[in-house]
Amino acid sequence: MHLAFTPEQQAFRTEVRAWMEAHAPKFRDLKTLECKEGFDAHVAWERELASGNWGMVTWPEEYGGRGLDLIRWLIFEEECYRAGAPLRANQNGIFLLGPTVMEYGTPEQRARFLTPMAKGEIMWCQAWSEPGAGSDMAAIRTKAIRDGDHYLITGQKTWSSRAAFADWCFGLFRTDPESKRHKGLSFILLPLNTPGVSVRPIRQLHGDTGFAEIFFDDVRVPVENRIAAEGEGWNVAMATAGFERGLMLRSPARFQAAAKRLVELYRANADRAAPGLRETVLKCWMDAEAYALNTYMVAASIQAGGKIGAEASLNKIFWSELDRSLHRAAMSLLGSHAELRPQTGANEWLDGYIFSLSGPIYAGSNEIQRNIVAERMLGLPR
Amino acid sequence: MEFRFSEDQLRLRDHVRDYLAKAHPPERLRALDAAGGRDNAIWSGLVELGLPGLLVPESNGGLGLTLLEATLIGVELGRANVSEPLADTAFVAAPWCVRKGEKSYLEGLASGDVTLALTHDINPWVADLDTAKGVIAHEEILLTRPAPKQLNSVDPLRRLFASGELDGGDDPILLDLAALTSAAQLVGAAERMLEMAADYAKTREQFGQPIGAFQAIKHHLANVALAIEFARPPLWRAAYTLDRGQGLAPLHVSVAKVAAGDAALLAAETAIQVHGAMGYTYEVDLHYWMKRAWALIGAWGDRTFHLKRVDDAVIGGTLPLGPDATFISEAPHA
Ligand SMILES: Cc1cc2nc3c(=O)[nH]c(=O)nc-3n(C[C@H](O)[C@H](O)[C@H](O)COP(=O)(O)OP(=O)(O)OC[C@H]3O[C@@H](n4cnc5c(N)ncnc54)[C@H](O)[C@@H]3O)c2cc1C
Repeated sequence: MHLAFTPEQQAFRTEVRAWMEAHAPKFRDLKTLECKEGFDAHVAWERELASGNWGMVTWPEEYGGRGLDLIRWLIFEEECYRAGAPLRANQNGIFLLGPTVMEYGTPEQRARFLTPMAKGEIMWCQAWSEPGAGSDMAAIRTKAIRDGDHYLITGQKTWSSRAAFADWCFGLFRTDPESKRHKGLSFILLPLNTPGVSVRPIRQLHGDTGFAEIFFDDVRVPVENRIAAEGEGWNVAMATAGFERGLMLRSPARFQAAAKRLVELYRANADRAAPGLRETVLKCWMDAEAYALNTYMVAASIQAGGKIGAEASLNKIFWSELDRSLHRAAMSLLGSHAELRPQTGANEWLDGYIFSLSGPIYAGSNEIQRNIVAERMLGLPR
Repeated sequence: MEFRFSEDQLRLRDHVRDYLAKAHPPERLRALDAAGGRDNAIWSGLVELGLPGLLVPESNGGLGLTLLEATLIGVELGRANVSEPLADTAFVAAPWCVRKGEKSYLEGLASGDVTLALTHDINPWVADLDTAKGVIAHEEILLTRPAPKQLNSVDPLRRLFASGELDGGDDPILLDLAALTSAAQLVGAAERMLEMAADYAKTREQFGQPIGAFQAIKHHLANVALAIEFARPPLWRAAYTLDRGQGLAPLHVSVAKVAAGDAALLAAETAIQVHGAMGYTYEVDLHYWMKRAWALIGAWGDRTFHLKRVDDAVIGGTLPLGPDATFISEAPHA
């Protein structure tokens, strides 16, 4: 065990920090990712990152990455949050689809999809959920029927984050119409401007159009857009979900930056804080630390050849509930100011609190994650 | 940066775990409880494993290992509810002697012939004072002491004595070593209580099915698994930084003790709930672990004490906060 950064890792941090200091300030205070103007501004940040070759540092150089290890990735993320850099518009692409294509894609698919992703050229959204298939994702009905070297897709997806602004989607479709549940599903990628696709934005709790429904009406998609074998979609999707819950989607820096802001908010408002809130603030800081430490352990374990199993579910519960506690505490500290939005700029705590309410729902609800923990880690009967 | 135990460390842990599972089953605890006192056979077994000398330098007859191994094994002691004074003497007194240059006791400690009891102002008691060769009090080792007056602990397997006129003092090294060891045992106790509750939930049937198939039970137990999973990494960090004497080690020990205590308390309350009335009996083994957890949560700095130390650093202090601050070893001065 070695809990200090090597000189090379420190040098890498210095390099990232210098780059961020030179480039991130221009991208401060962007509009939210959940509206067209904000999304476009965030895409500009993706391209800025790509211009410095920072699109996805862990990917091999041939796909637009830097071939770095997970520790470097964590350092990179820390420096992004430290610099107050924008969130990643392409998070569904780089953090979820990317690792999936790396693992299950053919060499041609890797070259075709990963490089433009790292370069910030193509923005991705995830099309899994359907009106009748939320937590019960195996109830997916949207069909992709084989027609020569194409699939014909018909049906509906929903809750697809940023689908209103994205270029392509990766979805899970029923390629065997006779199949049931987890069988007969395939993992297929397609551009949202394919004829027959229509996207209807849905206003979210905060009022912006963060997610959308996607309708498919006899949409023709070439077979080479399928990842892995036909009928293997469920296993591929579970691997993607593992990346989502386990390591990539919510890097610890996000919560450490928020915990720092919370402590500062507390210091500024200590005289009017509710009794007990001080302890909540300390608990949030301790939990953000625990999450960071755990992530470094997961990274070390993966680098030593390990895999993330059902612990990914514990991870997802932990970060999503930490995020909600953090923002709830801030709302309490703000008291009668909590509801107010400034004329310009944002009430970050309010927006963050609203968003934190979705964390325990998306990426598999926390009830489902608790089922997974109980059944797969503790061996309780289904 | 490599936050991972070595294969050797994990093998040692597994070896101790397997040994304790065989040699130290719950029947041992019940026998100890019935007879009172301590069991020489258990102690001899621990000596054979070399555990009393784990932290004693090889030149003094020990294994010369670090607080990382001690903490891994501390978790195992908590899992097995070992009640012999191994943790106090091997994982606190021995490294304390090494740090204070008290060389004359090291060989006796390593061979298991000598145990040392610990006094400190933070506790109103001294554990295993009657069988100890000496007692660490106020930065020195006393060989004579008042006639021990036994106190009653909720934990029938703890042997506590009034500190009487012993002046404990407030040696911070003793406190941090002992708080770390307590945290390790709390994590182990929590793990074991979770396993006991999960096992019970798989076999006990009501309404024609195992109670573990009910989602309320699943979610209760998942919450315990969550608390334990995220109590472990801070524990390892505390062990690592205290071993190296880093300036922030006391803060990390406090974070670890709070997380471990919270996990153990949740595990205890959940485990009894899952056991139903069975859990409320003296017959089911669970109570030994619950009681150990209650005792250790208050020992060597209770939750309030450790939270206060965190508070002094985080809200009141100069600790750097934020994404790049997790692995710094020293806080700048105000
Ligand atoms: C902000 C946001 C972004 C999203 N982005 C995307 C996206 O990009 N792509 C995408 O495909 N989807 C996305 N989703 C959808 C998300 O994956 C689903 O909302 C989620 O899987 C839950 O499905 P549901 O909303 O239909 O709720 P339901 O499944 O109807 O669940 C409702 C409630 O019932 C509980 N419940 C359901 N089944 C069980 C059970 N077996 N045991 C116990 N409790 C149960 C749930 O936990 C929940 O509390 C997003 C959702 C949100 C909120």
